Amino acid sequence: MALLNTLVLAILATGFLMVSRRSLDAIIRLYALQNILLALVSFALAGGEVHFIVAGLALFAVKGVLIPWYLFWLIDRLEVSHEVEGYLSVSLSLLLAGLLTALAFRVGKAFVLPEAPLPQGVPVALALVLLGILSMVSRKKAISQVLGFLALENGVFLMALSESHGLPLFVELGVALDAFAAVFLAGILIFRIKGEMGHVDTARMRSLRG
Amino acid sequence: MLYLLVFLPLTVFLARRETTLLVQLSVLVPFLGLLLAPFLLGTAAGPFRLDGVGLFYLLLTDLIYGLVALFARGYFPREEAWRFYWAGALFLASAHGAYLAHNLGVLWIFVEGSTLASALLVYHKGGARALEATWKYLMLGSVGIAMGLIGVILVYALVGGVTLDWGEVRSLVGEANPEGLKVAFALLLVGFGTKVGLFPLQAWLPDAHAEAPGPASALLSGTLLNVAFYALLRYTALMQAAGLFPFASGLLLAFGLLSLVFGAWFLFGQREYKRLLAYSSMEHMGLAVFALGLGLPWLALFHTLAHSLSKTLAFLGASGILALSHAKEVGRVGGLVLHTPALGVPFTLSLAALGGLPPFPLFFAEFKAVEVAMKSPWLGVLYLVGLGLAFAGLLYPMAQMGFGQGKPLGGRGLDLWLLWVLLLLLLLLGVLPPVEVFKALEVVLWKP
Repeated sequence: MALLNTLVLAILATGFLMVSRRSLDAIIRLYALQNILLALVSFALAGGEVHFIVAGLALFAVKGVLIPWYLFWLIDRLEVSHEVEGYLSVSLSLLLAGLLTALAFRVGKAFVLPEAPLPQGVPVALALVLLGILSMVSRKKAISQVLGFLALENGVFLMALSESHGLPLFVELGVALDAFAAVFLAGILIFRIKGEMGHVDTARMRSLRG
Repeated sequence: MLYLLVFLPLTVFLARRETTLLVQLSVLVPFLGLLLAPFLLGTAAGPFRLDGVGLFYLLLTDLIYGLVALFARGYFPREEAWRFYWAGALFLASAHGAYLAHNLGVLWIFVEGSTLASALLVYHKGGARALEATWKYLMLGSVGIAMGLIGVILVYALVGGVTLDWGEVRSLVGEANPEGLKVAFALLLVGFGTKVGLFPLQAWLPDAHAEAPGPASALLSGTLLNVAFYALLRYTALMQAAGLFPFASGLLLAFGLLSLVFGAWFLFGQREYKRLLAYSSMEHMGLAVFALGLGLPWLALFHTLAHSLSKTLAFLGASGILALSHAKEVGRVGGLVLHTPALGVPFTLSLAALGGLPPFPLFFAEFKAVEVAMKSPWLGVLYLVGLGLAFAGLLYPMAQMGFGQGKPLGGRGLDLWLLWVLLLLLLLLGVLPPVEVFKALEVVLWKP
């Protein structure tokens, strides 16, 4: 239990750091680390059952290796600065992140189901979802929005682990495949945005109104 | 065989970029679907099973896809047609998958798949505006659908983590914790509601519909919105089976009314006719959700059918107008009925159909809904106000584009006869609404 508690807290910490860091490289590394921790949680919960371990490994391969590698490749090819540009200062982001986490822990209890195998994971999962949304709305670069979405998606994954040992294997893999396809598509779009407009700043994309 | 039906649309890729072959395959595939699917009713394979409601939406999607694919032949220049047909094939495969999926997790996967495929449809060949619309759609759609996934997870956990099969879940939800189910349904409504275009989650919808090339807009409005609505339908049926319909009904009625009223309100500010049609989609999906909230799933099914046919007609007409006039604004197009009747008559009548005029089927659907809504007067009155607004909002574009001042349009080889086919179907449906068929479909969903 102590191990699981530590892992869950470490996941929350990576979520916090992803909101506060200003370098895209650091955020991608934190994302990869978060996936390693999530894979460890799913191993710890597996209780020796093979298909949980297979699911954990497959997810780690897609989200811990493939997606971070793709994102690193993307930011190198884009030739834009690796700095996160946001509307909020670091301290304000951290303050908001703290408030959102407190909110997640406050309402998290309503989400915990009686037979949940990892009840302490539920509020953390909610916090990750909220922090992901915070990154998406408070940052300008298209790629940092993708990272916010990925953090959110990890929250959903942790929710599945905490409430019911994760979804059935083939559903879990389908979800991971969808996530990868979404990130891949977003990457192509980001290239086109750069080519078409010369920047990747979503705050300056505002020709469609009303 | 069901697997075959899911992967059938991908055979379009065999044509590579040969436009003629692409068109032939893209029309042949939905035609085969239309022929094949009815014989597969009731069969199951892995996580797939085809029941009446799934079959209904599958046939509707194939019909519309076939018509749109034919129309697109004359619409796109030869060198860019492949973009539409490739993205369309991916979209059709994911729509097939969603309608065949009997597993709630697999349903979610295919709904998300349809989001990604339709993002490619919106993007088409790019440009700053299309990029912005696609990006907005991809981000909002993905976040929304992630909320929906939390709902799926909660439902799975609530039935003890044993199954995600819709039929089995339906027999198990009766014993599930009702408070948990309410939270799950609210998340699912937000998640799939984003894709249905319910207010206030509709921000992506007008941009995507207005910036996508015309035939793609027809697919978005006529088929994509139904995919997410179908998921909502399944989950509402689960709530009903759990005895929680009053709770679900309250939320559905509220979201439906809000989408109706705001969708109708936004109609007034629009200068571009494709944006106008997009807001009309939002309004009509609101009406379908409202009908579901009234506890009339058959009417919701009928409404989506009537809306899909009317809106496909309207968007194909709009793409014809755009291709011939190169004007996006309502005010710069006029007198279509008089000097371009082959295009103007069906388009103007499609606006009348969307405004809910008899003898079109949406009139029948709205009339039936008012009858029931009037049981609680304030609900009925709000509904009527919304309908009135929506009708008034379409009146000026109808008058201006149909009969106002405007230059005659030069011809280009568009297959305008398809518009007349759709118009004929609409009139048939409006004059002889097959209510019994829809009531029979309702039995699949609703527990007595």
